[in-house]
Amino acid sequence: MRAFDFAAPRGIAGALRLAGDGSAFLAGGTTLVDLMKLNVLAPEHVIDINRLPLRGIRLGPDGLHIGALERMDDIARHGAVAAQYPLISQALLLSASPQIRNMASIGGNLMQRTRCGYFRDMATSCNKRSPGSGCPAQTGDNRGHAVLGTSASCAATHASDVAVALVALDASVRLRGRDGERSVRLADFYLLPGDTPHVENRLRPGELITEVIVPRLQWARHSTYVKVRDRQSYEFALASAAVAVDLRGGKVRDARVAVGGVGTVPWRLPAVEAALRAGQSFERASALAAEGARPLAGNSFKVELVQRTVLRALMEVAGSR
Amino acid sequence: MRSVDREDGPLKVTGAAVYAADHHPDRLAYGYLLTSTIARGSILGMDTGQAAKAPGVLALYTPFNPVKLYPYAKEENAELTPPLQNTDVRYYGQAIGLVVAETFEQARDAAALVITRYSAQQPRASFTDGLPSAAPPPSGTPVVDVLAPGVTSIDQALAAGDVTLTATYSTPVETHVAMEPHATTAFWTADQLTIYTATQGVRLVVDRLTETLGIEAAKIHVINPYVGGGFGNKWGMWAHTPLTAAAARALGRPVKTVLTREQVFSVVGHRPPSSQTVSLGAAPDGTLVAVKNDGVSGKSASNNFYEPVANLSLVLYGSANLHVSRKVVTLDVPVTTIMRAPQESNGSFALESALDELADKLGMDPLDLRRKNDTPIRPSDKLPWSSKHLQECYTMGAERFGWSRRSSKPGTVTDGDWLVGLGMATATYGASRGQASIKVRLRDDGRAIVSGTAADLGTGQSTVFAVLTADGLGIPVGRVVPQLGDSATPPAANAGGSGSTSTNGPAVQLATDAAKAAMVTLATEHDKSPFKGQEVTFSNGEIRGGGREMPFGDLLTLLDVPAVEATATSPRSPVRDHAFRSFGAHFCEVRVNRWTGEPRVSRWLCVVDAGTIVNPKTARSQIAGGIIMGIGQALLEDLRIEPETGRFGNATMADYLVPINADIPDIGVEFLDYPDTLLSDLGARGIGEFGIVGAAGAVANAIYNATGKRIRDLPITLDKLL
Repeated sequence: MRAFDFAAPRGIAGALRLAGDGSAFLAGGTTLVDLMKLNVLAPEHVIDINRLPLRGIRLGPDGLHIGALERMDDIARHGAVAAQYPLISQALLLSASPQIRNMASIGGNLMQRTRCGYFRDMATSCNKRSPGSGCPAQTGDNRGHAVLGTSASCAATHASDVAVALVALDASVRLRGRDGERSVRLADFYLLPGDTPHVENRLRPGELITEVIVPRLQWARHSTYVKVRDRQSYEFALASAAVAVDLRGGKVRDARVAVGGVGTVPWRLPAVEAALRAGQSFERASALAAEGARPLAGNSFKVELVQRTVLRALMEVAGSR
Repeated sequence: MRSVDREDGPLKVTGAAVYAADHHPDRLAYGYLLTSTIARGSILGMDTGQAAKAPGVLALYTPFNPVKLYPYAKEENAELTPPLQNTDVRYYGQAIGLVVAETFEQARDAAALVITRYSAQQPRASFTDGLPSAAPPPSGTPVVDVLAPGVTSIDQALAAGDVTLTATYSTPVETHVAMEPHATTAFWTADQLTIYTATQGVRLVVDRLTETLGIEAAKIHVINPYVGGGFGNKWGMWAHTPLTAAAARALGRPVKTVLTREQVFSVVGHRPPSSQTVSLGAAPDGTLVAVKNDGVSGKSASNNFYEPVANLSLVLYGSANLHVSRKVVTLDVPVTTIMRAPQESNGSFALESALDELADKLGMDPLDLRRKNDTPIRPSDKLPWSSKHLQECYTMGAERFGWSRRSSKPGTVTDGDWLVGLGMATATYGASRGQASIKVRLRDDGRAIVSGTAADLGTGQSTVFAVLTADGLGIPVGRVVPQLGDSATPPAANAGGSGSTSTNGPAVQLATDAAKAAMVTLATEHDKSPFKGQEVTFSNGEIRGGGREMPFGDLLTLLDVPAVEATATSPRSPVRDHAFRSFGAHFCEVRVNRWTGEPRVSRWLCVVDAGTIVNPKTARSQIAGGIIMGIGQALLEDLRIEPETGRFGNATMADYLVPINADIPDIGVEFLDYPDTLLSDLGARGIGEFGIVGAAGAVANAIYNATGKRIRDLPITLDKLL
C-alpha cells in the first residue's frame, strides 16, 4: 500500500475541490481499501466522503431517490424499497455478507471493481489494471468470467448485484463535478471493455455519484432477483437475473429483464423483454438471454445457465407459462 | 457418556487465547515473505535496492543474501530443502525472500518494491495431461494383489463376476485453509531460542529446527497452546518458520512472520489431485468377488508426499480378490502434503460411488449391498477387526434417517422446483495407539495440572485431558488445568492421524494413577501427615484412611508441600493379532434445483462406532466438522492450477470456496460407544478424520438418486448438473 494523503471534508464542494487525478473517494471502503492493500489501487489522495450530506431514501412521485452514501443493508430493509422494488431489496440482501452490507454504500457498490483474479493480482498482467499488458483470463482460469460484452482485451465480470436490478429498472445516477451536475442512465454509465477495459464508466475525473434515482414503475412490485452460485451465500453470482413483470388479466403486458454474473457490465435483455411483450412463452423468451455470448474454455456453462436463470426468475414472479 | 464444555471455550470466544501471531515481545520486528511468480526455473537476480531503502526496513534476505540454514535431515510431508539456500524455483508462490521491517506494513510495502528476474522453464502443471505417463511412486509398493487360491490375476477374478462395473473417478487439488494462518514469532535469549509457531506438534518443530539451525534441541523452546485449525497443514514446518528464527538470530531482536491468506495457498502444502479407476465384480446376490482400484495421485516435484488413494479398497469391504495400484504424476506445483484423512477421503469417494453404481446395476438397495459385504476381518491380511459394529451403525442410521423412504428410481422425488435424493456411504478411519508420556501435578490449591507436548487444533483434545484427569482423580473437570503445546513438557502424541486421544488418553490415565500413588506415598510417609503409617486410599480427590478424609490440596497445604507430580509413559500398542479401525455410516439428503442445478445438502446423519467417546460434546463437533469438510469436498473445493503457468488460479478465500453456514443443515451424530479394549483400557480409537471419509461419496450418491446423473469428478458443481 502506497502512502497517501487523507482528508475528510464536510461539504460536497470541499470534497470536489480536493478531487482530481490520483484521488479516490472513500465511502464504505470495502472495495477501495481491499484493492489498496493489494497495490492494485494506489491513490495519492484519499477523500473520505462519509461526512457529506448524501443520505436519505425517499419515494417521490417521480420515483425512488437514494443518497449515494446510504448503506446496502439500510436500503434493502427500507419499507418502500422492499414493497415497491423487491428486486432491489433482494439483490442487495443476496450480496456479500452482513458485515460488508453494513459498510458498503450504494454509490460505492456501483463503482466496485471486478473480482477477476488477474485484475487483483499484481504479479500477473491485466489490460484493465495495466493497459496493454495482456489478458491472461482469455486462456487461464476463467470459470467466473463474463460471456457477454467481452473482448479479446477483457472478459472481467461486473460484480455488482444491485446494478443489475437498477439497470432493469432504468435507473440513473446523479453526478456532481466542479463544473456542475448531470444525470446519466446507469445503462449508459457503464462502458464495454472493447480495447480500453481500463475505462469502465462515464465518470469524469473528480466527479462524484451523489444520488441514485429509480423511476416509478408500478408493476415493479412483481419482481425478483434470482442469484445462482456454487454456495448458498457469500459468493458472487455465476448467473443472476433481475426480472419485473407487468401481469394484467393473466397476461404479460410488459417485462424488465437484466442479468448479472455473465456480463462485463450489468446486462439488460431487450430482446427477451420484447419476446415477452409479444406474448411468447417464458421458455422461448428466456432462450434469447445469451444472444451474442462469447464463452471461454471454463465458462461455457454460463450460456445455458443464464437462460435457465432468467426462466426461473420469470416463473418465480409470474408462475410458469 | 458425559458431555463437558470445551475447557478453553471461554478463552477463545473472548480473545484471551493467545495464538502464535498474537505475541508482541519488546522490540518486535516483522517479516514478510517474498514469493516466486514463475513455477519452474531459476532466479537470475533480485533488485533489492529500492526495498532496502524503504522506510523501516531492517533486513532483506534472498538467495543472494541468505540466512544460513542447514539441509533438512528427514522428510516430514513438507519441503525437502530449507528456503533461500539456492536460486532454484520449483513452484509458483515459493518463498524466495524475507523482508524484515519495523512494522508489518513497512515490510509488506518494501516487498512490493523488489524486482526479481528469472530464467523460466515450462512447468509440468496439468495432472490430467500427466495421467498417461504416470510413474511408480517414490515409496511404497506399486501394486498389491490379494488373490484367492487358484486365481492368477485380478482381471480373471473380475471376469468371473456375474455383474461388473468399471468407472474412473477424479478429485481436484484441495487445500486446508485453516482459520488461523500460519505464523511464527521467534526470539533469542543468548543462545536459547523461544518460538511461538502454529503447529500440530511442538516436537516436530524442535526436531526440524535442530537440523536446520544447527543448534541443540535443548536450546529450543517451542510454545503453542492454541491452534486455529490444522487439518494436516501444520504438521510439516514451512519456509517462514526457520527463516523467522534465523532472522531473529541475525538481527538480535524478535521477529514475527504471518503468512498472508494468498501465501497460505502456496507457501504451505495442499492435498494432491487424484484419479481412480475402480472395477468391481459381484455375484447376483451382491457378494463382491473382485475389487480392483488403480489409483494415481499428484505429487509435487518439491517433495515425495503422494496419496496412495486406492488403499482403502484393500480393507473396507470383504472380497476374496483385491488389487490396488499406486502411481504418481509429478508436477511443478507447491508442496503436496497430508490433509484430513489423506488417501481415505479421496479413496472413499471412488469406492463408495462405485458401490452405488454397482447396486444400481444389481437392482439392489445400496445399503443392502454394503451389508452383504461387511466383514469381521481385514480383507487384505485376514486379521480380525478388534471391535466392529458396522451392521448396528447401518441399522440405526437407516431407521433414524428414514432410508426406507428412498425411491429406488432416480429423479422421481421432487419438492417444488427441487429434485430430492438420498444417499449413503460407509464412514471409516484406521486407528492405532502410539507411545506417549504425560505429567500430572497435584497442587496445594486443589488443582491438577496435566501436561504433555500434545496439540489441541480446536479439536477438544485439551478437554479430553481434563476429563480423563478429573475422572481419575475424582474431582470436578474445572479443577484440572491442561497444558498442551509446550516442548518443555513430556513427549506426547502430535495431533495427526486421528491418534491424539487413542495415544495420549491412556497416558493421561497412567499419569493420573501415578500422581495418585505419589500422593498416597506422601500421605503415608511424611512426618507431619495425619495419615502417616496408615492404610489409605485416594478417591473423590481425597486421601482416606483411619476414619479420616482430606482433599489432596488440603493435605499438601497442611504439609507445606507445593505439589506432588508424576510422569508416566503409555507404550505403543503391542497387539499384533487384530486390526484396528473405526466404522460408521453416513446418510444424507441432497436437493438439486431443477432449473439451475445448484446442489444443496438438506439433511445428514452419521452413526459412529469409534470406541469410547471421552467427551460427546466436542466429539460431535469433530465428526460434524469432518462432514462439513466432506460437503465442501463434494460440492465446492477445487484449487485450479493454470496449466500454462503453474499458478493457482483461485488462490483466495473468495475464490476457493469452502462451505459457509448456509450450506450446512443440522447434522445428526450418533455414537455407539463400544470401548475398544484391545486397543487400550480407555478404548478410544480417535475421531479426527472419520467424519470426512465417505461424506463426498454419500453426497454424490444422493445427487444420483435425485437427478439420475452420476458425477465422477469432484467437485459436483451446478454446471455438471445442468
